[in-house]
Amino acid sequence: MKLIEALEILKQAPTEGAIPFEVYMVSSFTPLHLQTFLAAELRKRNPNRSVSLSSGLYGDIRGNLTRMAQSKSDGAAIVLEWSDFDPRLGLRSLGSWDPEVTEDLLNNARQFATFLCAVLRSMLVKFPVSLSSPTLPLPPVTHYPSWHSNKFDLSLKQCVASMLVSISELQNVHIISSDRLDISSPFNRRLDPKSEYASGFPYQIPHASEMAHLHANQLLPLNPKKGLITDLDDTVWLGILGELGVDGISWDLEHGAQGHGSYQRFLQSLSRTGVLLAVASKNNPQLVDEAFRRTDLLLSRNHLYPMEAHWGPKSESVARILKTWNVAADSIVFIDDSPMELAEVKAVHPQIECLLFPKSDPAAILDLQYRLRDLFGKRSITQEDTIRQESIRVAEEFRAESANGNVISDVFLRQAEAELTFHVQKHPLDPRAIELVNKTNQFNLNGKRYTDASWLTYIKQPNTLLVMASYRDKYGPLGKIAVIAGRKERRTLHVDTWVMSCRAFSRRIEHHCIEELFERHEIEEIVFYFEWTPQNGPIQEFLAELLGGSPVAQGRLTRNCFAERRMKTFHKVLETANG
Amino acid sequence: MDELHVRLARCFSAVFPSLSPARILKAQSSNVEGWDSVASVTLFATIEEEFGIEIDIQDLKALLSFEKLIVYLQQTLKQNGF
Repeated sequence: MKLIEALEILKQAPTEGAIPFEVYMVSSFTPLHLQTFLAAELRKRNPNRSVSLSSGLYGDIRGNLTRMAQSKSDGAAIVLEWSDFDPRLGLRSLGSWDPEVTEDLLNNARQFATFLCAVLRSMLVKFPVSLSSPTLPLPPVTHYPSWHSNKFDLSLKQCVASMLVSISELQNVHIISSDRLDISSPFNRRLDPKSEYASGFPYQIPHASEMAHLHANQLLPLNPKKGLITDLDDTVWLGILGELGVDGISWDLEHGAQGHGSYQRFLQSLSRTGVLLAVASKNNPQLVDEAFRRTDLLLSRNHLYPMEAHWGPKSESVARILKTWNVAADSIVFIDDSPMELAEVKAVHPQIECLLFPKSDPAAILDLQYRLRDLFGKRSITQEDTIRQESIRVAEEFRAESANGNVISDVFLRQAEAELTFHVQKHPLDPRAIELVNKTNQFNLNGKRYTDASWLTYIKQPNTLLVMASYRDKYGPLGKIAVIAGRKERRTLHVDTWVMSCRAFSRRIEHHCIEELFERHEIEEIVFYFEWTPQNGPIQEFLAELLGGSPVAQGRLTRNCFAERRMKTFHKVLETANG
Repeated sequence: MDELHVRLARCFSAVFPSLSPARILKAQSSNVEGWDSVASVTLFATIEEEFGIEIDIQDLKALLSFEKLIVYLQQTLKQNGF
């Protein structure tokens, strides 16, 4: 991003009703253009947030860190440079570089590293913190020539590395990868001595822009893609299955097909992190089944669902896969070795990210894997991630066996052997709750989204009740699929947020959720803070039945009313975990 | 306005969003609210990036108006062969 573009983004007024997003910026230098770029990056990736940045005092890194820890920000960006570890390692200090000072420099660096770790640990990291380790070249402090790696340099870098390892264990602190920065901002084009002398800002403009981009990635990460649809021939394996037969296709060094094996391994790894995988291939389905029985495949057939192998257009296969997964096209990546197939899918599903599999270019295959890691990357793997593919298969089987579309009979539900577990736990806070709240659209009371900080603040209120539900039946587990959050005032619960995964529809779980609230939390009346959204039709229909008319902003439901209008449920409630 | 004026005016507009196009042409540090040292640094960095030039630190204090910057840019770009 150019500086003028950043300034022009910031010129635009935030959208009406924009949620404030306050970021505390910590550095010992004047943040100047870095602050401008960061504000613009944050605004660009979420126009619904009104971004404001505050920074501390020039040259007071310790004070700035302490103030950041005490602030009520929504996020913080800590931008470290060598001068934070000792001012003599920056250009604006004229402190001695005599040979005997190196031990003193190291001691100061170690003290600062200890201080930083202590601050971050003590603040319990109540909002997301993005942290970058020093990015600028070390000044020529020692007597060694620049090509000679020496004990001082190595010890200093070891000190920083140990500090980062320690910090990386803290939840909510996200360290920027220096390897990634090396690719996007060449090392010798980062420092601007003229600017540092003139204004105290040490970065060249492109480096400031890239740093802001990476910090923004950490503070407001883009939603990872959810699913990948792949071709088979000349993609998952080398060769055309219909021509070479099952034994003729390959994916190893011996056949010059290692890139395909590497792609298989990568897909398998993606699947284990909760990414949905499916196949769209113009192929003979019997042959494909046979190919997936080969025991030397690195990608398990079980990780691919649905499998669309036939001779029809791939855009139609993709449409069926999207329907089965029930995810939006913009959450999907489609990979094929044929530009024509990519174009055909793109024409019908313009929001899908279509990527070419570069079958004859090993370097490009590796680049593709880096790109896919960025598109699908996530900070943690939840239990729900590990069962996602399986739960979609389960939901599909449930739908197929119930057979009558949306009307599920009591008989069918009774034989499903469904089990519901309600979790009433605020400490430790399950990250699955905010994940579900922020990504669910259809069964969503009002579409309200939260930042990590605002969610934490809301949940921490003593009268806030947080209930999560997980579900399984004889077809398999769906994991944690519903979140209800509200404020309890005497015997009334004001429900601010209620979401349920679409995979859990048609099981009357929503009825049991309300029953749970009335029965276990001594509530006589529930107030639903409903708001219409273009996508929340399912909850509108449900509330209309329950409240006896179109839902309104603060629809009320009494215990007696619920008893009259509720549907019969057949879930066995296993346990209620309190925390 | 020629292209040089348009491009410089865009830089001014980005740094001083409240300035009208007419006021930009007459802008100088003494008559623009908020034109402080930080704004100067931002303005000069924006101009350097926009025109692909490097402004000498010694020249900065003499370039505190739109008009002076136009003259400076005309000379500098001519010297650089643009």
